[in-house]
Amino acid sequence: MDAVTYPDKAVIGFITNHIIPLRVPYDHQPLAQEFKVHWTPTLVSLDLDGKEHHRTLGFLPPEELIPSLMLGIGKTHFDLGQFGEAIEILDKVVTEHARSDAAPQAIFFRGVAGYKHTHDPKNLRLAYDRLAADFPNDEWAKRARPYSLIT
Amino acid sequence: MADKIEWLTSMDEALKRAKAENKYVLLDFFNPN
Repeated sequence: MDAVTYPDKAVIGFITNHIIPLRVPYDHQPLAQEFKVHWTPTLVSLDLDGKEHHRTLGFLPPEELIPSLMLGIGKTHFDLGQFGEAIEILDKVVTEHARSDAAPQAIFFRGVAGYKHTHDPKNLRLAYDRLAADFPNDEWAKRARPYSLIT
Repeated sequence: MADKIEWLTSMDEALKRAKAENKYVLLDFFNPN
């Protein structure tokens, strides 16, 4: 991460503008125990109270870190019931990082957030259709499969 | 634009800034060795 990803200008710009970056050694106490960290790099997305909403384990190149961080922000909004805000950033993952590893999960949560925000089940069906078309073998396409029954 | 990431090292400071700037926190557990 230090050699490739964190020096990347786009990564620096995204983190500087959108996230508060906090870094501690993997054996930091009490945080390592509190977050049950056993390997590095472990990246955890936290809300304003320090509660976890998303995590990744292992190296991420710049083109994957940015959408992963965006997904983390979106999932945090989602968990907090801020569905409009979740939709806004998840849409960016889906459109601006459409082929990233974070995209399938972003599509899934975008669909659910859209449903929670509008109560229109069409959001769920659209998420399934997008996943089935673009990521048919992804686990999130399987999780969305029941939405294929929505007409 | 900043030329590097300005990492904080204290959770208390990170949450204080998070609330002040209304931004969420990225917590990176790294291996310093």
